[in-house]
Amino acid sequence: MEGVTDALNADAVQSLASGAPEWLQNRRLDAWATYERTPMPSTRLEEWRYTDLSRLLELDSLEPLPWSKRTFDRASAPASLDAALEADREASGRVVELDGSVAHVELDADLAEKGVRLLSLRDAVEEIPEVLERRLATEALPATDGKFQALNAALWQDGIVLVVPRGVRMEDPIRVTRHVSRTGQAIFSRVLIVAEPGSQVSFVDEIVSEDLEEQTLFSSAVEIFAEDAAQVQYVSLQRMGRGAFHLAQQRTIAGKDSTLDTLNVTMGASISRLDLNARLMGPGANSDMLGLCFGDGDQHFDHNTSQDHDAPHTHSDLLYKGALDDRARSVFRGIIRVAKGSQQTDAYQTNRNLLLSEHARADSLPNLEIEADDVRCSHGATVGQLDQDHLFYLMSRGLSRPQAERLVVIGFLGEVLQRLPLGGVVEKVSRGIEEKLNG
Amino acid sequence: MSDAPILSIRNLHAKVADEDIEILHGVDLDLNKGEIHAIMGPNGSGKSTLAKLLAGHPGYEVTDGTVTYKGEDVLELEPDERSQAGIFLAFQYPVEVPGVSIANFLRTALQARLDEGEEIDLFDFQDQLMSAMEVLEMDPAFAERPVNDGFSGGEKKRNEILQMAMLKPTLALMDETDSGLDIDALQVVAEGVNRLSEENPEMTVLIITHYQRLLNYIKPDHVHVMVKGRIVRSGGPEVAEALESEGYEEFRTVGA
Ligand SMILES: Nc1ncnc2c1ncn2[C@@H]1O[C@H](COP(=O)(O)OP(=O)(O)OP(=O)(O)O)[C@@H](O)[C@H]1O
Ligand SMILES: [Mg+2]
Repeated sequence: MEGVTDALNADAVQSLASGAPEWLQNRRLDAWATYERTPMPSTRLEEWRYTDLSRLLELDSLEPLPWSKRTFDRASAPASLDAALEADREASGRVVELDGSVAHVELDADLAEKGVRLLSLRDAVEEIPEVLERRLATEALPATDGKFQALNAALWQDGIVLVVPRGVRMEDPIRVTRHVSRTGQAIFSRVLIVAEPGSQVSFVDEIVSEDLEEQTLFSSAVEIFAEDAAQVQYVSLQRMGRGAFHLAQQRTIAGKDSTLDTLNVTMGASISRLDLNARLMGPGANSDMLGLCFGDGDQHFDHNTSQDHDAPHTHSDLLYKGALDDRARSVFRGIIRVAKGSQQTDAYQTNRNLLLSEHARADSLPNLEIEADDVRCSHGATVGQLDQDHLFYLMSRGLSRPQAERLVVIGFLGEVLQRLPLGGVVEKVSRGIEEKLNG
Repeated sequence: MSDAPILSIRNLHAKVADEDIEILHGVDLDLNKGEIHAIMGPNGSGKSTLAKLLAGHPGYEVTDGTVTYKGEDVLELEPDERSQAGIFLAFQYPVEVPGVSIANFLRTALQARLDEGEEIDLFDFQDQLMSAMEVLEMDPAFAERPVNDGFSGGEKKRNEILQMAMLKPTLALMDETDSGLDIDALQVVAEGVNRLSEENPEMTVLIITHYQRLLNYIKPDHVHVMVKGRIVRSGGPEVAEALESEGYEEFRTVGA
């Protein structure tokens, strides 16, 4: 029973489950049973080859944070949270989550009238149980998917649920800002987005923290459903402080003629692991998958992506770019899977890395598994150096070395942002890059 | 002002950094303010090495000799400091800068020349950029294209001269700007350079080329021949004409 500790154990699950509706109790307990049965992923597994959890994850010292009613007071918001909110632009709705507990939710009154639901996961259990019973940790991220999927499904303390009814289009994004202040804790949170047929929404999920003294685990499980002809954009901005271990699991399920795009920006935390699985389930489904990371110091970023084409006439296009300075390292492992019968599919995958220091490292492992024959697929990976001639060219125009580096990094990463121009996101990410370059 | 040369190179020996490969074996050259000089010479004779070294490329190391620019030792300066001091190199092989537009690049370069707290006037900048592009017959849309990314050989060369026009150097080093340009483009670029020297008669130009053709448009005051890391002959425009008909044969044995 690997991974069961003094704090992360059946008692903790039991105390979260008690008082919940029966289906939920069972779901948590089943998830826990799966967790206990599932071995801790080791570097012998291809998917974990470069991230050695036995060395990097201090599970024994993590305490699961119990849910507590938190109130949000802007005036006393810590610096990183305040800055994140300050930089926000117009929104259709806003959520603030503090240490994994939703503390504030607001939604445009018009949209509420049209039936849009934006609420904490805890409230959703009370108010829309039928949606959760069907969708929470079932079709998208069931506990049986893996050790950490199970752990989150057993121990989540809160999360965010968004349901956009048929045909409702939201002009401005939903903006979620999460802040973590409690060091040494394990926080489990979930996101569930259901975009009903013909609806449209964008969702910006930002997480920030100050530096954390002891390792702090933030586990996020994100499930997104775009039903027929719905359009969804999901953006994750991770700018946690050092000490954080950010573990993100995302699965997107794109129905017939839908568009389900994601952007994952990873800049913070000491360790960040992303598992993203895009499933194209209906003919005509389309997913753009963008990623951007910028590491320095001894940051460790591991991206594990998959593009599953389970229907004909589907399209996916992945572009992940990483810039790495100092001793930072990144791993990109991506697979395109085209099932038999998924004819007339386009699937692309590109990973590009830029090393700014000779001690930085990037490993890139693109992969294809194609069972259909009428498909257009490509994958490519590059790891480049900011070399002497490059720098010399820029400096010979009068740019100092830091200015030259800045221009190259912003130019390199900018390609990703240009492809998903969402109000406020580009500015935030650009600022984050600047801060790192100046740091 | 004194009549001392703007650039004075004395007995310059240089090698590849970290390696024992000497490329320049004692170069002597004086450029006076406002003059136009040309260096010609066979492939591999060290012309680009000299140009890059003058601009501060870290890949070469001076083992002997001096380089004085505006009366001061320039060898201690970083490439950006040399640029700020007015030295400009139009590259033989310009480098691509993906994701950075020409306009953004030039704005950053001009901004870097200002004191802290000063901001460049964006309207002035835009005006200057557009008129420089007009002189060089460049489509204004080019300003938004990433620097050299996917440019044709000729476009890269034109872009080098655009940068030169915007940065207004005191000493311009042009390394084979003519190679890769078609006949019309060559004329346009030459016209651009001539216009710059008219506007700024004090600008000194050192042209590296293999062909007389460019020198028909940009008239040099002095022509030098470099062979195997040395200047083996200096004279007027007639030197270039002689090379055009006779080639480098007579120098093959010289100084070898
Ligand atoms: N970094 C280097 N390492 C090793 N050899 C070098 C290096 N740089 C230049 N060289 C050598 O020095 C010599 C001079 O090169 P350079 O590029 O200066 O010649 P060039 O006169 O500009 O030639 P071309 O007319 O072909 O442009 C060549 O033999 C070249 O191979
Ligand atoms: Mg050369």
